Amino acid sequence: MLNSTENYFDFVVIGAGVVGCAIAREITKYSNSVALIDRLDDVGADTSKANTAILHTGFDMKPGTLESRLVREGYELLYQYAKDNQISVEETGAILVAWNETELAELDNILENAKANNYLQARKITSSEIYEFEPNLNPGALGGLLIPNEYIIDPWSVSISFASQAIKAGLKLFLNTKVLEINRDENTFNIKAENRTFATKFIINAAGLYSDKIDDLLGFDELEITPRRGELIVFDKLARKKFNHIILPVPTKMGKGVLISPTIFGNVMLGPTAVDVKDKEDKRTTQEGLETLLNKGNLLSSSLIEEEVTSTYAGLRAASNQSDYFIKYRKENSSITVGGIRSTGLTSSLAIGKYVVDLLKQSNLLTNEINNMVNFPMPVLGEAFNRAYKDEAKISQNPSYGEIICHCERVTKQELIDALNSTIPPQSLSGLSRRTRVCLGRCQGFYCLSEVRKLIAENSKEVIS
Amino acid sequence: MKKTKAEILIVGGGPSGLALAAELKKKYSSNIILLERESIAGGIPRHTFHPGYGIRDLHKFMSGPKYANYYVNLAKKLGVEILTSTTAFDWVGANTLATTSPNGLLEISADKIILATGARERARNSRLIPGSRPEGLFTTGSLQQTTYLNHQYVGSKAVIIGSEHVSYSALMTLHHAGVKTVAMVESNHKTQSFGALVLPTKIRYGYKFFTNSKLVRIEGKGRVSSVVIERNQELISIPCDTVVFTGNWIPDNELARRGNLEIDLETKSPMVNSNFETSQKNIYAIGNLLMPIKSADQCVLETRKIDL
Repeated sequence: MLNSTENYFDFVVIGAGVVGCAIAREITKYSNSVALIDRLDDVGADTSKANTAILHTGFDMKPGTLESRLVREGYELLYQYAKDNQISVEETGAILVAWNETELAELDNILENAKANNYLQARKITSSEIYEFEPNLNPGALGGLLIPNEYIIDPWSVSISFASQAIKAGLKLFLNTKVLEINRDENTFNIKAENRTFATKFIINAAGLYSDKIDDLLGFDELEITPRRGELIVFDKLARKKFNHIILPVPTKMGKGVLISPTIFGNVMLGPTAVDVKDKEDKRTTQEGLETLLNKGNLLSSSLIEEEVTSTYAGLRAASNQSDYFIKYRKENSSITVGGIRSTGLTSSLAIGKYVVDLLKQSNLLTNEINNMVNFPMPVLGEAFNRAYKDEAKISQNPSYGEIICHCERVTKQELIDALNSTIPPQSLSGLSRRTRVCLGRCQGFYCLSEVRKLIAENSKEVIS
Repeated sequence: MKKTKAEILIVGGGPSGLALAAELKKKYSSNIILLERESIAGGIPRHTFHPGYGIRDLHKFMSGPKYANYYVNLAKKLGVEILTSTTAFDWVGANTLATTSPNGLLEISADKIILATGARERARNSRLIPGSRPEGLFTTGSLQQTTYLNHQYVGSKAVIIGSEHVSYSALMTLHHAGVKTVAMVESNHKTQSFGALVLPTKIRYGYKFFTNSKLVRIEGKGRVSSVVIERNQELISIPCDTVVFTGNWIPDNELARRGNLEIDLETKSPMVNSNFETSQKNIYAIGNLLMPIKSADQCVLETRKIDL
C-alpha cells in the first residue's frame, strides 16, 4: 500500500538547481509521482543563481566528452525553450581575444577544437576587426576568434520556469527540506529530511555542491566536490553600451580566466576569479578577489573600470574530481547521480534532463508521455526587451504596471504583486529579486527596500524575512 | 506613445527642482512641467525629520518634511504642473524625454529641459567593501525612510561610516530609532563636517570616533555581527548589528549620460557653464546633480542664479 501514502513518490529528485529542475520536469512528462526536494527556500538558489549567465555553444569543450555532447544539445533546446517561454536571450556573440604571441598562436588550436565539437561558425578576426566591434577594449589586442553564437541569457527565470511548468503538470516541490538520511529496505528508499520523510523506489541525486554528500548517503564515495569560489563585479548600466560582445580570454591550464560580459539585465560583469575553498557555504567576497578583478579588468578595459560598481558577489561552482560530467546510473541501487556539472550546466540542463530520462526509459522505468508541459510566458526581465514599465498595452490594462517602485531596475508594483502570487512564490527578498530584479540595481535596495517590504507584507501569505 | 509639449520641463521634484519651478513661474509665467518619480514630490527632505532646514533661504529653522511641503505648495500655488509617479527613462530627441507612469507612456518635448535629479550615497557594494552579505546595512537615505516613513525596525548597535554633514544626520536618526551608535569611522584625519560637531555629539551619543581608519570587511551570517576596520596597519573589530554608509555621493546622472552630455570625469556631474547650461544647448543641470554636495537651502539659493 506504499503507493497510497502521501509521502511516497515513484521518483525523488534531490536538488532544485537548474539541473535538478530540468530533470524533474522531464520525468514529470512521464510520471504523475515525482518529488523535487531542496534544502534551500527556493529553486535555483545556490550555484545556479551565481553563474555567468551565458548560453554556451560548447566551442571550447573537450571533444568527445559527455559534457561536449550535452552542451551542444542543450544549447539548441534551451534557446528554443527560452523563446517559447519569454525568457530573455540576447544574441551578443563572443570574442576571444589574444593579448600576446603565445595566445595568438593558440587561436588555431581553439578553432580546431571548436570544429571537433561540431561548432563551425567560429572564425578568426584581426586586431582592427576587434576594435571595430569593441572600441572600449584597451589597445594591444593582437587578434581573436569571433564566436557568433555565444549568447547571454536570464539565468534565474530558467530554473523557476522549469519547476513552475512541471508543478502545473503534477510535480510536487518541497523546499526547506534538507536530506539527512537515506535508508533502503528491499526496493524502497526511505529518505529522512528536515520536517518530513519520503519513500521512493528511485532517487536522482542532482544536489550540486552537495552531490558527493548525497552519494555518501546512498553508499558511494567516487564523487568528490571541491567548491571553487568565483568572485564577480557587476558594473552600472551606463557601462552596458561600451560593450557589444562577451569578451573572453584565451584559456590556460589554470582555467577559463576572467571575462567581461554584458548581462541580460543591462549591466556589465567582470569575473570570475577561481579559488578552491573547503567550506561549501563560504560565499564571502575578499579584498584579494576584488583587487584581482579590478587589476585584471583594468588590463582589459580601463574604460570599464571608470564606471560605478553596482554589485559584487561570490558564487561557488561545483568543481569535482571528475574530468567530465559525472552522470552515473547505478541500476542495482535504483539511483542516478548527476554530479560535477560545472558552469556549463545552465546550457546543458534540458539535455541532461533528456539524458536521464533516456536512461530510465531503457530500463523501462518510464514508457509513455502522459503529461504535456504547457508553455507560459515568464515576466520580461531582459533590459533589451519590452519590460512592463515601457509596455503601453500592459499599463493601460493595469496602471500598476506603470508604477515604478524600484527606480534603479525599474520594477513596477504589479510585477512585484505578480511574483508574490506566482506558482512558486518567493520566500525571501532575494527570491523576489530573482523574479523581478527588485533591489538589485545601483542603490542595492537602499531607496525602495522599505517600500518593498510593505508590499511583501500586504501580498504574501507567508512571512518573508 | 502620447505626446505633449511644455516651454520648460524640469526633471526631479526635490528642493532644487521645486524652487526653480516656482522661481521661473514667477519670472516668465510660462508653461512648466515638473516630473517626480516618487508618488509625492519634495525629495530627500521629505524623510529627514530632524530640524535644520530653511536657514539660508527662508530664514527659519524647520524640519525636512515641513520644508519640502513649503516648496511643493509654493510651486503648486504658482501653477506649476507637477507629475508624480512619473519617470523620465530615456531621450527620444534632443529636447524630448520618454516618460512612464500609471497613466501610461508620454513623450514630453520642451524648449528647455532642466535636470535636477540629485545625488545618492554610495552603498556598500559600490564602495567595494568585501565580506559576507548580511542584513543590517543602510545608507542615510534608506535609514531615514525605514525610520521615519515606514517605522520599521532598524537595529540596536550601529557603526556609521563617514563623517560628512549627512553622517550627523544619520546619527540623530539612529538615536530617534532607538539605536545606539558605537562608532563613527572616517578615513581622513579629521571630520569632514564642522569640527565643532565632534565633541558635543560624542558626549551626547557616546560613540567612539575613529579617524585615519578604513572599513575593510563586513562580517555576520544573516545579520551583521561586526565590522573590521584598519587603523595604522592594525585591524580592529567592532561588534555591531547595523552599519550606515553615509556620504560618498554620486550624482544621479543617468539621464545626463543617456543624453550624451559632457560629464566631469572626477565628479561624474554634467559639465555646465556659469548659467548652468550643459554641453547641449537648452539642457540645464542644477542642484546636487552638480557636485560637490550641498545642503537643500544652498541648492535653493543656487537656483536663483539661473537665467533662461
